[in-house]
Amino acid sequence: MKRTLLKASVICMMLGGWMISSVGFAQSDPTGKKRITSSYAITNATVFTEPGKAGVKSTILIQDGVIAGVGTNLSIPKEAKLIAGDSLFIYPGFIDGASSAGITKPKDPERPENFVSSNPPDEIAGITPWRSAVDQFAMDSKVEDLRKSGFTVLQIVPEGGMIAGKAAIVVLGHETSSNLIKENTALAASFRGSRGMYPGTAAGVMAKFRDVYKNAELTKINSDKYSSVSGVKRPAIDDTFLGMKEVISKSTPVMFSASSELEIRRALKLQKELGFNLILTDLENYEGVIPEMKSAGVKILIKAEVPEDKAIKAQKEDASEDVKAQYARVKESFDKAIAQAGKLEVAGIPFSFTTVGVKSGDIGKSLKTMIDNGLSETAALAALTTNPAAMMGLSRELGTIEKGKMANLVLTTDTLFKEDSQIKHVIADGYLFDYEIKAKKKAAEAGNETKGIKIAGNWDYITESPAGSGAGVVSIKKEGNDYVGTITYDDPAGSGKATAPIKDVKLDGSSLSFAFDVNAEGMAIVVEISGTVNGVSLDGTMSVGQFGSFPFEATLTPSLTAKL
Amino acid sequence: MNKINYFLVALLGLSFSFASAQTPKGSVLIKNATVLTVTKGTLQNTDVLVQDGIIKKVGANLSAPAGVETVDATGKYLMPGIIDAHSHVGLDVVNEATSPITSEVQMKDVVNPTEIGIYRALAGGVTVSHAMHGSANVIGGQNATLKHRWGTKNPNDIIMMDAPRTIKFALGENPTRVHGRGNGIQPRSRMGVEAVIRNGFNEAIQYQKAWADYNSASAQKGNTATAPKYNERLQTLADILDGKIIIHCHSYRADEIYMLINVARDFNISKLVFQHTNEGFKVAPEIAKYTMGASVFADWWAYKFEVYYSTAFNAAILNANGAITSINSDSAELIRHLYHEAAKTQRYGGMTDDESLAMITINPARQLGISELVGSIEEGKQGDLVIFDSHPLSVYTVPQMTFVDGVKYFDIKEDKNDQRLTVSPTEMVEDVYLHQQTERCMQDTEHLFEMAGTLFNQN
Repeated sequence: MKRTLLKASVICMMLGGWMISSVGFAQSDPTGKKRITSSYAITNATVFTEPGKAGVKSTILIQDGVIAGVGTNLSIPKEAKLIAGDSLFIYPGFIDGASSAGITKPKDPERPENFVSSNPPDEIAGITPWRSAVDQFAMDSKVEDLRKSGFTVLQIVPEGGMIAGKAAIVVLGHETSSNLIKENTALAASFRGSRGMYPGTAAGVMAKFRDVYKNAELTKINSDKYSSVSGVKRPAIDDTFLGMKEVISKSTPVMFSASSELEIRRALKLQKELGFNLILTDLENYEGVIPEMKSAGVKILIKAEVPEDKAIKAQKEDASEDVKAQYARVKESFDKAIAQAGKLEVAGIPFSFTTVGVKSGDIGKSLKTMIDNGLSETAALAALTTNPAAMMGLSRELGTIEKGKMANLVLTTDTLFKEDSQIKHVIADGYLFDYEIKAKKKAAEAGNETKGIKIAGNWDYITESPAGSGAGVVSIKKEGNDYVGTITYDDPAGSGKATAPIKDVKLDGSSLSFAFDVNAEGMAIVVEISGTVNGVSLDGTMSVGQFGSFPFEATLTPSLTAKL
Repeated sequence: MNKINYFLVALLGLSFSFASAQTPKGSVLIKNATVLTVTKGTLQNTDVLVQDGIIKKVGANLSAPAGVETVDATGKYLMPGIIDAHSHVGLDVVNEATSPITSEVQMKDVVNPTEIGIYRALAGGVTVSHAMHGSANVIGGQNATLKHRWGTKNPNDIIMMDAPRTIKFALGENPTRVHGRGNGIQPRSRMGVEAVIRNGFNEAIQYQKAWADYNSASAQKGNTATAPKYNERLQTLADILDGKIIIHCHSYRADEIYMLINVARDFNISKLVFQHTNEGFKVAPEIAKYTMGASVFADWWAYKFEVYYSTAFNAAILNANGAITSINSDSAELIRHLYHEAAKTQRYGGMTDDESLAMITINPARQLGISELVGSIEEGKQGDLVIFDSHPLSVYTVPQMTFVDGVKYFDIKEDKNDQRLTVSPTEMVEDVYLHQQTERCMQDTEHLFEMAGTLFNQN
């Protein structure tokens, strides 16, 4: 089985043009990237060792990826790199209960010549329990975005059909390390049918799931008999059976993607009939089934996202009574949706988060919304740390800041859920990752800084993404107190440039943000750009829906600046 | 569960209602109505008492037991809850159209109790609907019989648990178009449809035998028997052969109806109902003799080639020949006024009030195997009732109140503008369908056709 996890290191070695026989004992490092020490001491920081515990001024010592000590009287070895933590707040590294970051969907296998859509081979019909997320994973910009948001460990979930394959747990350490913690941690399943073949709908998927499960059980009985009694017909051992073996023996749980109450009930129904261990993931709408989930004793991963408030904001004052009554229902539904996580806490259900389909840059804001609507900060932190660790059976090595645990930490500029708190460093697997801290937004109050900044004009920009570099022009015009304009970009539908109006242009101090809509193959994507203006240059990031965020640099064309 | 466990359950405040859910049962005394019992004639100025969901007493001058609400129905008409033997309301999925036989698929898996169509059906007096798989396959999925207990979000609460299993079959143009022309596999013709059914049943017989052989062999000491593959598809067909499931077959032409009657006779199947059955009038005596009858449209045809030879007298002719006959909707729109549809049998066929009303009450109940429970106003039956302001077969009539198991789920005086059970937190205006997709027999199959649906009405 190939391991794309290791691919990065192989590529690095090839680029270096070196044949290194033993990476561990390499004598020199011509790339200059090798770190000087694997010991760190973060001194005198406010440390929150676990959810519910108050912050205590302590020093954390890290050696070779492990927390070597937490306290005030540690003897710090000479080789330790010191990080002054006086103004920092330290939390256990976040754990993502289910993630699709870094996952590339494997190519669909070619249809055989005698393909019959009513009876397709398992692999083509999306039944691939033998596949592993490990083979689909690579550290990419989406993974880096998650780490930037504080995540240090991910349960990666493979992409695919109704039974996509096995999840695995990885730490977001150095790109050249083998970052695998545990394989075959769950079987990813969904109610997604295959297009144009059996099973095509949720009804077909449920029937087929029962079929796959029960036949795996029968094959198990037959092969047990085969190995103990002579003269028994050879059992039909196939890839699907091999992939289901640990599921029917209940050592691997099924992780069912179920976003709505009806889907949750369907997954619970299958679990009750077949008896597998169940993890429910991708939960978006679940308030009405909390008692059922609790009595079934299933594990729960809710989406680290709250609904958009666009519909709420679009409500108009001068609407008719009928329309106002409808507004009220939408508002009520919205208020309920953002209070759901708090309801899980009240019900005493320990839950974790999934980031599948979630924009990593918005996670912090979404969690704050949940906290503002009934979820305690302690429960929110537990959902990011101790709960997923326990769910994964990894409480011994993950979830809290304790001597002997994996060195996974989040270092913030203020207490975690405070409005202006920012992540300054993340330590994952003992590797230190530094992040830029933006100046606090005092500008809005003073308004002076904004006055000195001119953004109207034509900006030439360049971006870098895995698809290559892109370039274009952003034209910004002032209209009254607002800004409007357009952006040109490489047309995703083919060659040439496309133009789109930009929206939500906001200038706050020196930080500029705006967005525009792209239509790529029928999918509407919102591209958001934010950055800092410094004279005539703009340095920022472009975030493309769920696809990740990429560097964005722009320069204001001088001629037009002069005119305005 | 022993006593101590009961005690623990009570003590811990746990509820085990999820396993053995109790649906709401109500009590009500409806006074002084013109009671259309359907099976026992029309009773003037009569009271009907429902207690704990069951019709306790039908008679004059009944008094309400303590705590039981009284509804004055003076000048109004009371009839049994209307039953629709062919509907797709309340289903998230209608067609698993990907194989000529999908008998393993269950509509009970995809019931959506929050679909607004259920409330609209209640507002038309419909208390029970037969939520069917679509007609894309020769043998489709198993259907769900629903009781319209509006207000719950739990699918189990609206599934009529005491109704027998039923399954969808389909003959003629739909399955041959989807599988033969669409996918190049059997069936491409009506002969192919018959072959698919016969092969299916023969395979089911072999499947039953394989399991019987295995079960008896594996009981022997030192045996080397291995279990056959599990196959719910064939197991379901075997259950049909064992008389455990009622077939409801989408059909139009007389030749294919007669074909299926012969197939059923060859396999000793008697639980068979024909759906649509536009040419049923040509084979009415055979339908009457060998099957559980036909469920038809009042006057709907010519939407594709196989439904040109049709007549509005179909129901009356079938009925006159002694076939159990019901009028169905197959439509989220028609389901709201099935009493109008039933009344058309008086205009075309001169049927009596009781005969017409039976077509939307006791007859569909018999075809669904639930006539012991619902379908008429009789003591001991479930309290599914509708109050109309005038005779339900009058074109001017308006339903006033609808009860299921004695619980009032619709009252025209308490009808709010917005009856949705679920509202999206992110959509200001949700999709509204007024004209399109009034029927859904071929829903979820669109992608299987190269030609747009405009060429063929896909009923």
